[in-house]
Amino acid sequence: MLPLPTFSVLSPRSVADAVGMLTDHPEARLIAGGTDLLPSMKYGLFSPPALIRLGGVAALQDITTTEEGGLRIGSGATLRAVGRDPRVQRLYPALAAATRTVATSTIQAMGTLGGNLMLDTRCAWYNQSSFWRGALGGCLKCHSGPEGAICHVAPKGKGCYAAHSADTAPGLLLYGAEVELVSSRGARQVAVSALYGEDGRDWIRRAPDELLTAVILPPPPPGAVVHRKLRARASIDYPLLLTAAAFDPEGGPRVVVSAVGPRPILLSGLAEAFRDGGVEAVAEAGYKQVSPLSTHV
Amino acid sequence: MSEHEKPSGEPVPVGRRGGKIDGLPKITGAARFTDDLTLPGMLHGAFLRSPHAHARILSIDVSAAAALPGVYAVLTGADLPTPYGVIPVAQDEHALAVGKVLFIGDEVAAVAAVDQETARRAAALIRVEYEPLEGVFTIEDALNPDKPLLHDERRRKGDTNVLRRVFQKYGDPEAGFAEADVILESSYDYPGSTHVPLETQVALAQPHPDGKLTLWSSTQIPHYLHRIVAKVLGMREQDVRVIKPDVGAGYGGKSDPFANELCAAALARKTGRPVKFILDREEVFYAHRGRHPTRMTLKMGVTKDGRITAADFKAWAAGGAYASYGVVTAYYFGVFLPLPYKLDHWQFESHRCYTNHPPCGPKRGHGAIQPRFALELHLDKLAHAIGMSPEALRLKNTVEPDTETSNGLRITSVALKECVDKVVAASGYLEKRGKLGPNRGIGLATSAYMCGALHPIVQSEMPQSAVQICADRSGRVSILSGTADIGQGSNHMLAAIVAGRLGIPETDCVVLESDTGLTPVDLGSYSSRVTFFAGNAAKMAAEQLYAVIRAAAAEKLGGDDVVMAGGKVFRASAPEKALEFADAVQLAEERHGTLGFVGHYKPPKIGSRFRRQSVGPSPAYSFTAQVAEVVVDPETGFVTVERIWAAHDCGKALNPTIVEGQIEGCVYMGVGEALGEEQSYTKTGLHRAPSILEYKIPTVFETPEITTIIVESNDKEGPYGAKEAGEGPQLSTVPAIANAIFDACGVWMNEAPFTPDRVLKAIERRDREARRAAAEEGA
Repeated sequence: MLPLPTFSVLSPRSVADAVGMLTDHPEARLIAGGTDLLPSMKYGLFSPPALIRLGGVAALQDITTTEEGGLRIGSGATLRAVGRDPRVQRLYPALAAATRTVATSTIQAMGTLGGNLMLDTRCAWYNQSSFWRGALGGCLKCHSGPEGAICHVAPKGKGCYAAHSADTAPGLLLYGAEVELVSSRGARQVAVSALYGEDGRDWIRRAPDELLTAVILPPPPPGAVVHRKLRARASIDYPLLLTAAAFDPEGGPRVVVSAVGPRPILLSGLAEAFRDGGVEAVAEAGYKQVSPLSTHV
Repeated sequence: MSEHEKPSGEPVPVGRRGGKIDGLPKITGAARFTDDLTLPGMLHGAFLRSPHAHARILSIDVSAAAALPGVYAVLTGADLPTPYGVIPVAQDEHALAVGKVLFIGDEVAAVAAVDQETARRAAALIRVEYEPLEGVFTIEDALNPDKPLLHDERRRKGDTNVLRRVFQKYGDPEAGFAEADVILESSYDYPGSTHVPLETQVALAQPHPDGKLTLWSSTQIPHYLHRIVAKVLGMREQDVRVIKPDVGAGYGGKSDPFANELCAAALARKTGRPVKFILDREEVFYAHRGRHPTRMTLKMGVTKDGRITAADFKAWAAGGAYASYGVVTAYYFGVFLPLPYKLDHWQFESHRCYTNHPPCGPKRGHGAIQPRFALELHLDKLAHAIGMSPEALRLKNTVEPDTETSNGLRITSVALKECVDKVVAASGYLEKRGKLGPNRGIGLATSAYMCGALHPIVQSEMPQSAVQICADRSGRVSILSGTADIGQGSNHMLAAIVAGRLGIPETDCVVLESDTGLTPVDLGSYSSRVTFFAGNAAKMAAEQLYAVIRAAAAEKLGGDDVVMAGGKVFRASAPEKALEFADAVQLAEERHGTLGFVGHYKPPKIGSRFRRQSVGPSPAYSFTAQVAEVVVDPETGFVTVERIWAAHDCGKALNPTIVEGQIEGCVYMGVGEALGEEQSYTKTGLHRAPSILEYKIPTVFETPEITTIIVESNDKEGPYGAKEAGEGPQLSTVPAIANAIFDACGVWMNEAPFTPDRVLKAIERRDREARRAAAEEGA
């Protein structure tokens, strides 16, 4: 077993506490379920001097119905709690389904919805031990990468192609979800569709002092929304491809694909394609809009 | 309970079902693995590993590491200069690199410190100056005399990185091909894969004030480890004691001495403190010793009525940086090519090469998996070509009992036909083949494997297994053996034989194994030898104890028709007047003195026409037939193995529950190698996936429903008829799946593993060829 680096733990009891600590300790990182953070720290991807543990902030775990008829899901709600919530199952079945495809049931019991949305982009050239990355000579995403490091996925490119791998994001995007970000400067809401950046290094549009407190879902759209995950094995694995698809008899199909680049992609022009050539044409139109590069082994 | 008839006609009750005698402690967590052991003052070891695939070491500066508080000792290659290797003719390893590093992950220096974190931190402070050398990464590189040699002390003009080339020819292949009606030739590629035991390699060394040393280790080979530790540390063998605690599996991956064992021992001697040295999961991928990635070509001929007339096989294995068992691998490739079939005219040429990768070695089905994959696919192709059922083609060519093969293997018991018949019937193979509709298919393969190498690794006329048993007055029987139970059930096997002979429950036996300070020598858990070899030694000891107790009981009971069964000793003619087993033991002890007996096993001298055939022969062979049913998704290329039927001729199941477990484990491992496992490296020699997240062993969802069928051929020389069950059943799995994929969608998967991208490419090629054929027909 790999040892963890040494760090201290701060345990806020309220959102205000947590936000204050985040302001006071800019080098600290937030930990909720820790299912992604701790393995990454064991790999030496980063070594924060302190972790702010969100498990003690009870309010973050609430799932409540909004006045509009949607749901407000606390970022600290576990994936299991979200997936088992009857309101989520009834109103947002694609979200419930997505939570059940994350890693394994034990990780779903520890991991949180907020943590899943904040999942760092992943790449086979990056998510490795410090020994391994040293032998490789680093890459663009390694914070401590040497001068002249390249992206091994696309050596001639300038960007980092590490793949967005948050299983719940595509469905939430189609449901029109927003996230609430709170800092000592106040609170703001950002659509999930606007949450992610275009480069694997600059993948999240969250300020360092902001805490993701909740996911706010409007009432579900008419028609069905489904979630599909392609992965090497039927358990534990990160996605090779994520798709969420919505079909509204009025508006036609909407499809989000992810895990093929640093952010989820809402495909365009599908309504026209569907009108002209049905499902096959939608698939063709979608296929043309993604150009996956292998970030897997 | 099934009973095995002894030649004398008296039944010996072996074959009881049930859990292992040492199963409960493992389930409840009471078992003690090496990492569970802690000693006062114990230090922890860590390695500095090479970041280069091939480089000369110009200098090593350990001063910063040695100065770090909490560090007790630092070792480099200069401290342990004695080369070693598990095979006497290939002593090419050092505990720590001497002069050169040969793969990314090669051990360069070792540190002992108060805890693992400090040891790791110290290792990172060691400064090494390297001169990078050109890497040797492919078969082409290895065969190229212009490339640098990994082990360059042996360089002569024209030398390449081939560790061993083997060429053997039997009969007249040219004449054999001339007899054929159909000749096919194909290339095959089988990937490297690794063992992934649940427990990583762990060693704990304790120095003693008198200069002696005790080493606990998660090893499959306590005896060889004992010898090599003594050699490398310059100690007398009498002063080294190797103990193997409970081990969380090996599959061949713990059959070599490892740097963590040697460095734990050396650091303990240097510091005067116990040192524990555990590998993390990534390091196990570098320690490796797994399956050789192998490129093969196979040419075979058959007559129209399905007789195999000739074969020509070539194999090239990229074996990594050290020899390990690679010399043996090169021989096994050929020796196990034809078996289980009769083949009179054939030849093979194999090359085991060095490359700048983690070293390959033995993995379950060592040396036989790759040729079996090629040959079993090839047989289906030939069957297809002559319009014969694959099962009929196999049955037509199967070896017969009590014969000798063209390459001089003595065949005794064979129940392969029964295995084939049973899997074919259970799976509905004949009804299903070609009829399951698009993208669903069924495939068959058969195989054979050894039950222990006839010749020991280190030439010797001494026994290869030995067992000592004592009966005490309580009625408990202790069994001392140097065998290494690594989870496969060899402890239970010994108890089943002794308890079966004495008519007592296995749980009344205490097995004390794998302590070179206490137990008689056994060569270890490799080559599927333990049941046949140590089982026979246990039988020999048990028969003696049985005779003494029986004689004493006969005197007391007044007649010699004495039977020992159900924990009682009684006359068959008067079962109501039974002695308790313990009472009979006491009578025997009064009469005979303390009851202790030894048994040993040395395989018979089996003459061969071929003097050179020293690697490969076994006193007996196991046989397997398997059928796989698969579904292929033509959109994504994903293959789902839905069911496997596996029939295995294990001679006699000493405990059917454990035999079934071994068959299931073999099938599971085969499914992993078929679907996704691959030791894959970047072009600079860096392992692409040194973690069990990215190295794709099957989860429960990828594991098919497995139907196991035990077939008993009752081998005349096996202990109460038993042969091996731990490795042979894996040989059929991958080719059965490949043949099922052909049945499903008409593509031959000549390259494993059958990953979605490979399957998809094969399907696209099939469609392209079909379109071209249609166009040509149209034109």
